[in-house]
Amino acid sequence: MPDNIRSVGADWQPPSQQAAFRQIMNCFAYPGRLGQLATEAKHGLPLLLATLVDRSNRLADPHRLLDEDEHRRLGASPGSPEMSQFVVQPGAYPPDFQPMLGSLENPEQGATLIVVAERLGTGGSLHLCGPGIDGTATIAVQGVDPSWWQKREQWNASFPLGVDMIVVAGCQVLALPRTTRIDLKGVN
Amino acid sequence: MGYVAIKGGGRAIRGAEAALETLRTAEGDAGTPLSLSTIENQLRLLTSRIVSEGGLYHPRLAALAVKQMQGDTLEAAFALRAYRSTKPRLLEAPVQDSGEMRLIRRISSAFKDIPGGQMLGPTSDYALRLMRLDLANESPESFRDVARRFMDNVPETDLPDCFPKVVDALRAEGLLPAIDGPAGTPFDITRDPLVFPVARSAALATMARAETGSLLAIAYSNMRGYGDVHPTIAELRVGYLPVMLPHPVTGEPVEAGEVLMTECEVVAMYEGSDTDGPPVFTLGYGACFGHNEVKAIAMAILDRALQKGMRDGPRNPSEDPEFVLLHVDGVDSMGFASHYKMPHYVTFQSDMDRLRTTQAKVTQPRRQGENA
Amino acid sequence: MNPNYELPLDEADYSFGFLDEFAKREVRRTILKAISIPGYQTPYASREMPMGRGFGTGGLQLTLSLIGQDDTLKVIDQGSDDSVNAVNLRHFVELTCPGVNTTERTTEATLIQSRHRIPEVDLTESQVLILQVPYPDPLVVVEPSEAKRKVMHGEGDYSRLLTKLYEDIVQFDEITISHRYPTRINGHYVIDPSPIPRYDVPRLYRSKALILLGAGREKKIYAVPPYTVTEPLAFDDVPFRTEDFRDANGHRRACGRCGATDSFLDELIAEDGSKAWQCSDSDYCNQRLAELAQEVSA
Repeated sequence: MPDNIRSVGADWQPPSQQAAFRQIMNCFAYPGRLGQLATEAKHGLPLLLATLVDRSNRLADPHRLLDEDEHRRLGASPGSPEMSQFVVQPGAYPPDFQPMLGSLENPEQGATLIVVAERLGTGGSLHLCGPGIDGTATIAVQGVDPSWWQKREQWNASFPLGVDMIVVAGCQVLALPRTTRIDLKGVN
Repeated sequence: MGYVAIKGGGRAIRGAEAALETLRTAEGDAGTPLSLSTIENQLRLLTSRIVSEGGLYHPRLAALAVKQMQGDTLEAAFALRAYRSTKPRLLEAPVQDSGEMRLIRRISSAFKDIPGGQMLGPTSDYALRLMRLDLANESPESFRDVARRFMDNVPETDLPDCFPKVVDALRAEGLLPAIDGPAGTPFDITRDPLVFPVARSAALATMARAETGSLLAIAYSNMRGYGDVHPTIAELRVGYLPVMLPHPVTGEPVEAGEVLMTECEVVAMYEGSDTDGPPVFTLGYGACFGHNEVKAIAMAILDRALQKGMRDGPRNPSEDPEFVLLHVDGVDSMGFASHYKMPHYVTFQSDMDRLRTTQAKVTQPRRQGENA
Repeated sequence: MNPNYELPLDEADYSFGFLDEFAKREVRRTILKAISIPGYQTPYASREMPMGRGFGTGGLQLTLSLIGQDDTLKVIDQGSDDSVNAVNLRHFVELTCPGVNTTERTTEATLIQSRHRIPEVDLTESQVLILQVPYPDPLVVVEPSEAKRKVMHGEGDYSRLLTKLYEDIVQFDEITISHRYPTRINGHYVIDPSPIPRYDVPRLYRSKALILLGAGREKKIYAVPPYTVTEPLAFDDVPFRTEDFRDANGHRRACGRCGATDSFLDELIAEDGSKAWQCSDSDYCNQRLAELAQEVSA
């Protein structure tokens, strides 16, 4: 895992977060397209979290991808992956938890999973379709254990319940909202 | 014929602003601009209403809002709320103990004598509603005389102090349910949307900043017979509550200031109890910023009615949390009533299209087909 | 209050975007969930804005949470940039978001906040349309309790709404819903698409632009993602129909200003009682006039 996941000062500033949000939102609107987080930091994860998470959320980081200092600045309450709105996980490890899926009445309470990959744009290809995709889209992801995609399919089996995923590698992001279907044939 | 110009909206708005401002200052040389402290003091109940409905304890800003909005309470409370949106939250206060209030008024209609005694304080409850024509031409000298006479006649012992709460006595006697444990984290209506069913704390917070008249109307429906709370006021108190906040360095609670507030506890007839214990009276609670007695009473009655509705299912509008809580906010209801003044050309065009199509179908039977 | 207290007159400045950063972050989180669950009315806290509930506070909170200095904003009301409410909202954004560009040209805008219309020109992938919503829930007409409506939405159970439409047909031989036409998104949730006319409903279908809908008073945000299937509720034998702008002889009325016969028209009544029609989308009308003027001069 990259041990250089550390924020820079600008990651905590409103203009950086506004720009980052627009990239992330665009990724959710057009799943399969890559967004670029504009930061001087070596990794986009701190900016991604600073943009979305604050003290009104519960955040799980069981593999300690961020250090104590970064967590303190975020201010989110620490939680288990089973009980948190936001879960940060290294993609290299297969998922070993059952995230919140929301309920029929409140599906938005399904978790947002942030999976840290090695690289986006190269690696095993995923074929996607669903809302936000004009026909089908293909995206290569490297450094995410294939069992993630199988688990994701199980978690998202009964819409509107499910989880929404953000894959982040360096400063690139990819979003896979629960409506995006991944063709699992050919996933390696 | 001429066509409607697509330009001119900006100019119209500026003109409207100027006209409004002209009316506010219409007295011209003969007028005295209202000072904020004049509004805060001489219209103290108006200011109270604005801090309460605005959900922000800032009497001076409330006075400014009253002045700016030319006395419109809905608009003034609204301005205070909007101001609130721009301020970050620096600290969350722990639960405050209203037993610490320095009271200027407290009454109980349940008991003739209560520990600490009844204290009528500043109230017009028993004043005759006769026009006091002497107020028409007051002088600053007459203000001073009133203050001097009052202070000369008040014994030292009558100055504001704290008193034990009446319901504590009832609770000690076993007539009220015991408090079940420390209160959990209260629901924060400014940070979380109301998703029903809601916690009681969410209902209380919503009512605490509700529009007084709306709250009163729904509570009144319960009093008249659309409901059966039949309350007795165990205690109504008005006073200054010291606000304790953790010291930023030591974490020790320190008094950061005080807020004027009104608190009301009503006792209602007993219900079958949830537990196996003996039946006890039930309680309704109302509290808000400022000196707003009718609001606190209405809120306490509705709190009781809503608790009943949450337990047994609503049988009357005043027992239905959705009905009550989604219709008592002045900013919401006033804004929506006002929005009908905005242009609705497109939707009305669409309405006319439907009506004409339907009319055509009625007047000329189907032979003409779809687009007659 | 302390009699010596003075209001701090130098603290009158507002931060960029008016809302504090926590409020923006909450709206942003809500937007992502709204996109992920197309058509679902995602609850959020909704802050008080300095204009009336019902005047577009939901749309405005979306705009303020999205906008940055690279953006160009267009605000329309009834299709017009110069309608009093549009002017007011645009002025507020200019005041609180220094450095942001505003425009009246649909094609130049990156963000378009609108009340009651979708622009005539097709939107692109680099644009976001923000619609102001007074009533977010199409099920209100058949079920007053929100708790029950949430279950019906979750189950995708719209049978009572369809029954209501059917009763209309029995009584009037037409579906009488004029605007706010209930529309199913991606085969599950039925939304109130805001008070756009039926004429605009087909523009939701596989829109290239993301469409966000904000209801400030009702504290809901929902979305129609790009390239998403949207279907107005209808029956096989009584299809969905848009507004009809044909005269008694069956001729499509034209805009009295630019001559367009392919736009939504406002009906105007003159002093003498006669009627005229004019494009509701003022930018569309102006652009056509400019093109016509060029053709004449060429």
